[in-house]
Amino acid sequence: MNETADETQFVRVQREDFSVDAEINRVRGSSKRIGGISIFLGTARDRSKGRDVDSITFEHYEGMAQKKLREIRERALKDFDIIEVAILHRYGEIGIGENIVLIVVGAEHRAPAFQACKWAIDELKQITPIWKLEHTPEGEVWVEEHP
Amino acid sequence: MITVRLFGMTKSLAKNLSELSLELNGARQVKDLVALLTVQYPQIGELIQKKKVLVSVNHDIAHEETTIQDGDEVALLPPFAGGNPL
Repeated sequence: MNETADETQFVRVQREDFSVDAEINRVRGSSKRIGGISIFLGTARDRSKGRDVDSITFEHYEGMAQKKLREIRERALKDFDIIEVAILHRYGEIGIGENIVLIVVGAEHRAPAFQACKWAIDELKQITPIWKLEHTPEGEVWVEEHP
Repeated sequence: MITVRLFGMTKSLAKNLSELSLELNGARQVKDLVALLTVQYPQIGELIQKKKVLVSVNHDIAHEETTIQDGDEVALLPPFAGGNPL
């Protein structure tokens, strides 16, 4: 599947941080019919399963991760009454409190924006080949599952 | 020759190698490849048997009977960070 310009713009896996405002504006700018924007922003916590966490390293499968995120965008656009959706995920070492993942959904009305946003982040966590290595005072731990 | 990419804990179980090169030696399906891998890396083989580690071929999740050939991109995928892989 070849990437279209929209996919490159709205689906990204990148090392560098992203601007939440810039991404909201990118979705907002895609259509004047948008009347509601819902976002999910995932950030790095300093506790996990009772352990202190100093930082987190995200590893991804280049190519397959992007493919799965493009599939999620396409399905969200097809299955929900929304206008645009952006999905971004960072990789590499991420400090506590920093941005990890962002979903931005623009729709005419708020209900489908909320629904699609929740569905997209849940689906991302299920099917995207991204792994999380937590650096703790006791050593490094690959995280297997999170609800 | 086929390249098998490793991620997360599967990499740790293979001396931190990020990929392995395997001679297919007549292997035609994912299960044959897993059998070859298991000889060298029994712990990884066991995780695949228990479905803790999934196999992908050309960026799609594969099953035991998925066919493989020279030049395919195979990867071993431990459980994803965010939840169950399936």
